[in-house]
Amino acid sequence: MKWSQFFNTSIGKKLLVGATGLFLCSFVIVHLAGNLALLKNDGGEAFNVYAAFMSHNALIQFIAWGLKIVILVHAILALQLTFRNRAARPVKYAVNPGNQTSSWFSRQMAIMGSILLIFIIIHLKDFWYRMHYGELEPVSYGGEELKNMYLAVQVAFRELWIVIIYVIGMIGLSFHLVHGFKSAFQTFGLNHVKYNGLINFVGVWIFGILIPLGFAIIPVVIYFKSIQ
Amino acid sequence: MEHYNMNLTLKVWRQKNTNAQGQFESYQVPGVSSEMSFLEMFDVLNERLINEGKEPVAFDHDCREGICGACSMHINGRAHGPWAGTTTCQLHMRAFKDGDTITVEPWRSGSFPVVKDLTVDRGAFDRIIEAGGYVSVNTGNAQDANNILVPKDDADAAFAAAACIGCGACVAACKNSSAMLFVSAKVSQLALLPQGQPEKKSRALNMIAQMDKEGFGSCTNTGACEAECPKEISLTNIARLNREYIAAGLTYEK
Amino acid sequence: MLDSKIPAGSLDKKWEDYKGHCKLVNPANKRNMEVIIVGTGLAGASAAASLGELGYKVKAFCFQDSPRRAHSIAAQGGINAAKNYQNDGDSVFRLFYDTVKGGDYRAREANVHRLAEVSGNIIDQCVAQGVPFAREYGGLLSNRSFGGTQVQRTFYAAGQTGQQLLLGAYSALERQVALGNVTMYNRHEMLEVVTIDGKARGIIARDLITGKLERHFGHAVLLCTGGYGNVFYLSTNAMGSNVTAAWKATRKGAFFGNPCYTQIHPTCIPVSGDHQSKLTLMSESLRNDGRIWVPKKQNDNRKPADIPEEERDYYLERRYPAFGNLVPRDVASRAAKERCDAGYGVGSSKQAVYLDYAAAIERYGKIEANKRQMHNASAAEITKLGKEVVAEKYGNLFDMYAKITGENPYELPMRIYPAVHYTMGGLWVDYELMTSITGLYALGEANFSDHGANRLGASALMQGLADGYFVIPYTLGNYLADDIRTKAIPTDHPAFAEAEKNVQDTINQLMNIKGTKSVDHFHKKLGKIMWDKCGMARNEQGLKEAIVEIQQLRAEFWKDVRIPGDANEFNPELEKAGRVADFLELGELMCVDALNRRESCGGHFREESQTEDGEAKRDDDNFSYVAAWEYKGPSQFELHKEPLEFVECKPTQRSYK
Repeated sequence: MKWSQFFNTSIGKKLLVGATGLFLCSFVIVHLAGNLALLKNDGGEAFNVYAAFMSHNALIQFIAWGLKIVILVHAILALQLTFRNRAARPVKYAVNPGNQTSSWFSRQMAIMGSILLIFIIIHLKDFWYRMHYGELEPVSYGGEELKNMYLAVQVAFRELWIVIIYVIGMIGLSFHLVHGFKSAFQTFGLNHVKYNGLINFVGVWIFGILIPLGFAIIPVVIYFKSIQ
Repeated sequence: MEHYNMNLTLKVWRQKNTNAQGQFESYQVPGVSSEMSFLEMFDVLNERLINEGKEPVAFDHDCREGICGACSMHINGRAHGPWAGTTTCQLHMRAFKDGDTITVEPWRSGSFPVVKDLTVDRGAFDRIIEAGGYVSVNTGNAQDANNILVPKDDADAAFAAAACIGCGACVAACKNSSAMLFVSAKVSQLALLPQGQPEKKSRALNMIAQMDKEGFGSCTNTGACEAECPKEISLTNIARLNREYIAAGLTYEK
Repeated sequence: MLDSKIPAGSLDKKWEDYKGHCKLVNPANKRNMEVIIVGTGLAGASAAASLGELGYKVKAFCFQDSPRRAHSIAAQGGINAAKNYQNDGDSVFRLFYDTVKGGDYRAREANVHRLAEVSGNIIDQCVAQGVPFAREYGGLLSNRSFGGTQVQRTFYAAGQTGQQLLLGAYSALERQVALGNVTMYNRHEMLEVVTIDGKARGIIARDLITGKLERHFGHAVLLCTGGYGNVFYLSTNAMGSNVTAAWKATRKGAFFGNPCYTQIHPTCIPVSGDHQSKLTLMSESLRNDGRIWVPKKQNDNRKPADIPEEERDYYLERRYPAFGNLVPRDVASRAAKERCDAGYGVGSSKQAVYLDYAAAIERYGKIEANKRQMHNASAAEITKLGKEVVAEKYGNLFDMYAKITGENPYELPMRIYPAVHYTMGGLWVDYELMTSITGLYALGEANFSDHGANRLGASALMQGLADGYFVIPYTLGNYLADDIRTKAIPTDHPAFAEAEKNVQDTINQLMNIKGTKSVDHFHKKLGKIMWDKCGMARNEQGLKEAIVEIQQLRAEFWKDVRIPGDANEFNPELEKAGRVADFLELGELMCVDALNRRESCGGHFREESQTEDGEAKRDDDNFSYVAAWEYKGPSQFELHKEPLEFVECKPTQRSYK
């Protein structure tokens, strides 16, 4: 079987969606770890150093571009599958079972994913684009001049509507991962009574709750600090 | 159990044939006994429609004991109705109460075109089996049955998968109208047994290819199929199908 | 005139000799030979698969939406085979002997012996196909005992053996479909046999979706269309099970063998009301542990729990101390009917007896408590443990009972009553399974077969698969070898045109009646006549009345039936009407046969022929024959007798006292 055939079936595409999804899961951990520097009371030094490192290290740059491709692949294939799934039932039911037979978030992957995608575009435009191509005030630490991304973040999150967008984005992430993380394991055929509990726990508590909460708390904290 | 009578309103999908436009029609059905099966309630309705000179509602049914897989009604949003692990024919009217309105629809899937009213064409399932749901052994080829040892746990798991009745409730219940539970049940049965090993790669790949060709949606692991399966086929079978696909796809030379 | 073509030689060599000497068709010729198979149950699917593998061009037909739905799928208990895996003394001879005896000495010895010989091959074949039979911890196949035999020879897959075997045959069939050797016609109903120069050469089938009539040619035609228990309206058969194919063949000249032999199964869930559409069987295995009783007082309306032990009549244990609750099916059924007719029945309909697990729960509970070293277990603990054991053994049956009745069988005794289950009678066939029409074969339950007057449990699956996998591939070749020069006959042949016209006329006639009563109305009435007068017990007067009543009902049907809709579309009412029209003719023949057979044997109990204590009395001097009936016109049937000879199995009167 050729690789092109392997990845072109419904399961093959799902494998790609699952694999890219899990890769993105690992990314959010790293991303969150860096972001938490925003909450450090050091006037932004740790964060700015981190941001500079992320935007200049060649390897990181390479991975970062890969990341965007991964997001695109994940989104495009998932949307492709979603449209196919919709088309598989041309006449809809008049009465649907609601939550009687499946969980609400498991049915909303496409919606939550789309919210996330829109959020990511906004987020990239807000920060990534400005960091790389935009004008940012300089700040210098020990003689080295860096872009003051920290300040840009602080300014952005003084706006309530931006904070709300970020919180909504993280709610989308939460629901997406509560189902998405364990769903990926099922797609890879990893379903075993001995490990399902662990997978479920990690999916719900770490990726579904802890990480989105960690992301969401940053703009909220910054906002409340700013209005004090 | 005390039995009781009830008056019901039925909203039933009526469609003259595959190409016709369908619509719901409402029927009052008085005096339904709680001891009737759901299909017997339809018998009563049909008897009345015939006496009134109208066309009875067409629906698939045969054994009426939950094993042939013919019956296929989507009842109040649920494939085979509200009881778990139950086919439409084994659903009894005790599940409803006086004054209820019950909406009955056919299985909805592009791969299961409506034939008439509540009857659909599930030929896609036969074609998926044709693609590989068998062991290639001609009559008379077999060795003595006890020469093949099968661990009891494997035999039990294979049986649990083989219990699939091919009713299509998994497709009907899935928001994507995916046939993965059906396909995985057959692939699992044979993957768990030594007899299925020689053809395991081509079987998984060919059955999946046929499933895709029939236009079924893909699985998003919502679990609705397992919840609605009258034979309670487990989602672990879908995981096994995925494993079989990966193993076959990564190593199959053809 | 009736030549059963039983090969000469000793019984255990007949089939071997036949296989060694029958004619063969060479592979190149097989490709040009077309075979039509009607019905895709165990017999039909296995035959279609096997003949397809051999290279014949097979066309298979079923009225269901898929061949996998044939009613073989509903068989619960198991399949017998003389494997002697349990080392408990089983052998081909013993399986043969048990089957002939169980059939009350009304089966053909040679056929039954062949059945026993190939029984082992069936298990091998099914296992090779991946049928997940129950296994022991060592990985070997598990067996259980069944239906009162003294050895453990029944292979099973939980309570779904028929399903697993059928799906095995179905997948073999679908494999041949994929290879192009078999063409499958789903939702097609055969409505006529086409004969040319005295040979079956095809069928007329109706496409049930479009209503279109189709002509199909075959060098031979195989009917694998199951039994006709639905003549009783209420039975354990599927709603669509019918006699139409076999009956059309009968009208075309095939003889119908032993139509009165019907099996009434003792453990079914009783009728709950007029709305009842079918009856549900619960495996015979329930009688292994359950005790059957009725109150000693007539019309006792107390709840079962309120009836003290000394006021209960365990009538099977009382009447048959040696076998008790494990007497054969026919005996158990009649005893239940006797009690209910005498006014001791229970439940709202009074047409039921209790099957009580209280004693078994207590017994198992005590054993389990002992195993667990609980020597001072309370009654409640014992009951709890006992229920767990019973749930493990019979849980799926108890669940099914609870679903249907809404009662908890762990707390209350189950109500059971006998129901029509299987028909031993069917198209008369010779040793090669050919009917009295050349080139027309009947396999499985559709033929009058190997079960005599009563079928033993776990033998139906065995026969269906034996016929399809291991008998017909040889016997059909023996016939077709002489037919290799016959080119496929074009279906514009006048015989096809005439057959199609007959079918079309019948359909037109049915559609044009435009009467006032539904098909079910007539079917229910027919069922009542049959059940009351040709059911578990028959007598001369009742049968004579029944014949007249059926004739009247038939006349009324053809005047007053109402079939809505159109003939040129999917029309289930029209399908039913055609089937009931045939049942209305068959029912009469069943009564004629029952009237003729003035003896009691197996499932056929003539009240005039019983011992002083009410047991069945066979009359070997006058009735040791197969009654093969020839259709001569409406209500006209001519009897042909095939004498039965017993060389190895000398008839004795059965006693279970």
